Amino acid sequence: MSRLDATFAALSDPTRRAVVELLRSEPRRAGELADALAMSPPAMSRHLRVLRESGLVEEERPHEDARVRLLRLRPEPFDELRHWIDEIERFWSGQLASFRAHAEQRARRRERDRR
Amino acid sequence: MNASAGDGATVTVSVRVPQAEAFDVFTREIDLWWRQGPRYRIAGRRRGQLAFEPGVGGRLFETVELDAGSRVFVVGAIFAWEPPARLAFEWRGVNFKKDESTRVEVTFQSVGQSTLVTVRHSGFSALREGHPARHGLAGAAMSRMIGLWWGELLSGLREHVAAGRDAAPD
Repeated sequence: MSRLDATFAALSDPTRRAVVELLRSEPRRAGELADALAMSPPAMSRHLRVLRESGLVEEERPHEDARVRLLRLRPEPFDELRHWIDEIERFWSGQLASFRAHAEQRARRRERDRR
Repeated sequence: MNASAGDGATVTVSVRVPQAEAFDVFTREIDLWWRQGPRYRIAGRRRGQLAFEPGVGGRLFETVELDAGSRVFVVGAIFAWEPPARLAFEWRGVNFKKDESTRVEVTFQSVGQSTLVTVRHSGFSALREGHPARHGLAGAAMSRMIGLWWGELLSGLREHVAAGRDAAPD
């Protein structure tokens, strides 16, 4: 499975997308995430494993307390996703440029005919 | 000009025509403004036509003239038809499975004498694992799987970067 594929597979689940949304603001503990999404800790832990394996999320241990494990987003897979989305945007940018040219040319032609 | 979040792409352009006219031209005249050639149409260099059937439940489809007669390729069904403000339809590549689709939403926002037209194309993350539409740069395999125009779009990327820059709103 390619990395982009793993990214999409991880994000294909609504719970995991909700986790990503929560982690966008700050790193959190697994227990916090389970509470926020009203899930059992084992169910949350299965989702977190998928997110970690896809590389979207990593664990960090803050120096001040080695017992605490925080989860945070890794930027790299999002960059790849961003790059892929850029391509779709280029497709639509081209189409919309063509739409604008057609619509405006048509309006100018009508103006001219009216005179 | 572009802003994205999650699994979608969003593109906006400002067009110097009123809102109602923008909606009408976008839908009724899509065959006139949709780019020509294999990068954008299943028909490629053959004759073909792109059309919306107006209204919810209608479809966006392409008719292609083949030696054996004309053939219809449905891009997707329309699920929101709210002239002059909004339009939304399914977007399916030619090799998507029956239950697979992405979504395109187009909004028309009146700003003075102009209209802001925004396209949001989303839903890629719901496609099945390993779906070719996810392989942004898979080249030939992808073009075979989801339609010529899409694949060639990627190989012609540089041209599109230039076109995209020209398309920046005033």
